[in-house]
Amino acid sequence: MRDKIKQIRSRDNEGIENISVEERRHFLKMGLAVTGVFCGGTIISAVSAVNKVYASAGEYAAKYPYKPHYSMVIHVDRCVDCELCMQACVKTNHVPDYGYRTTILERDVPDAVGQKREFIPVLCNQCNLPQCTRVCPTRATYKNKENGIVMMDISKCIGCLTCQMGCPYNARYFSEEIHAVDKCDFCYKSRLSKGEKISACAEACPAGVRIFGDLSDPSSPVYNRVHQLEKAVWVMRPEAGTRPNIYYTKG
Amino acid sequence: MKRTIFLTIVTIVLAAFFLVTDGFADDSGGEIVYKSVTFSHKSHVDGMGFDCETCHDGIFEMEAGSMVASPDFSMDSIYNGEFCGACHDGSMAFASDDDCTTCHTRPGGDILYFKPVKSVLFSHAVHTEAFGCESCHTGMFKMEALAAQENDDFTMESLYQGEYCGACHDGSTAFASDTQCATCHLGVKGYNRMQGGEQANQSGH
Repeated sequence: MRDKIKQIRSRDNEGIENISVEERRHFLKMGLAVTGVFCGGTIISAVSAVNKVYASAGEYAAKYPYKPHYSMVIHVDRCVDCELCMQACVKTNHVPDYGYRTTILERDVPDAVGQKREFIPVLCNQCNLPQCTRVCPTRATYKNKENGIVMMDISKCIGCLTCQMGCPYNARYFSEEIHAVDKCDFCYKSRLSKGEKISACAEACPAGVRIFGDLSDPSSPVYNRVHQLEKAVWVMRPEAGTRPNIYYTKG
Repeated sequence: MKRTIFLTIVTIVLAAFFLVTDGFADDSGGEIVYKSVTFSHKSHVDGMGFDCETCHDGIFEMEAGSMVASPDFSMDSIYNGEFCGACHDGSMAFASDDDCTTCHTRPGGDILYFKPVKSVLFSHAVHTEAFGCESCHTGMFKMEALAAQENDDFTMESLYQGEYCGACHDGSTAFASDTQCATCHLGVKGYNRMQGGEQANQSGH
């Protein structure tokens, strides 16, 4: 066994870029982080995320690609579709009535035992591997290098709508006013850049559904919610492989 | 086939006959049902000895349900001596803010709360399957639709303290009010659907 491990260690690491987010999360849930891929992906090297790879939880958190690494955890079962978040978003970001930056989906399951309806808030997932920025021919939409927010450079947008097609979360609309595609920027322009700490939707929510924070900061309310093993945390459409930063949980 | 048609015709004729004769038998207007209220002509005419002109002289039109069209047909108007309040003032007849269940004999239908958030549906039909009026309408809830939402303390926090719906929705009598949120909460979508439905019904008349 020990020989086998040595043998694997001596091989070239094939890079972990192509590990699916699903797989990555699977390991993260076990307290492990993927450190290498060997033998054409058949062997995935994983080690304890906190104590082995990094000296401390703090160092582990510091490995996030962005600082602050903005994220939102959505307690989906607390949502009652009061839509105060949507109202706050429209007011704060001047969203036209034909588009949205965040909305609430509704799911009816008449045959369900007990509760038969659920409301699911959705917004731009500020993906780590965004498809929208990848397909944009003019780089009008881009990933902010500091905070990881997927932003728009309106002056570069030619309105080709390719980003809309690329987005697995349907999180973009064409604004006739600015003649460019627009989207949720976690209220960066309207609030965060002006010193506010959380997005307008998170502030407006009366039920504590939307928890906004910095995933790389152990003191942030999103940190503990994601870096724990007791309660399930998931992302929307993990199969898209875009490594979203909007997490969902219950309770 | 012929037999079915024959039976149908007989049924219709008999039904018409009974409807007409019943109409002749009770010339005092019968029972008027408005939402949760049943008004009995019988008890007012036979029981109290009033004649038609007592009420049908400016207080009520003679057309059943016509008062519904009046925008001020409300408990407030009644307290101010309009409609039923003309007599039910505490001296001529029992006061209209007293003995609610004497007139409000029927379950109150669906109540769609929209404060402090849109929206919560309370179904009388569901709750009266197991409970009587007095289970809730003794201090907990006024017998006035949407009265509760005007109170500042009509919040989830109060429910958790055992107020309002929380009196039963405590996890033992009924599911706890901090669980199954969307069982009662219909949201803005549900609110618009309900309002749209009602408007659609109204335009159908």
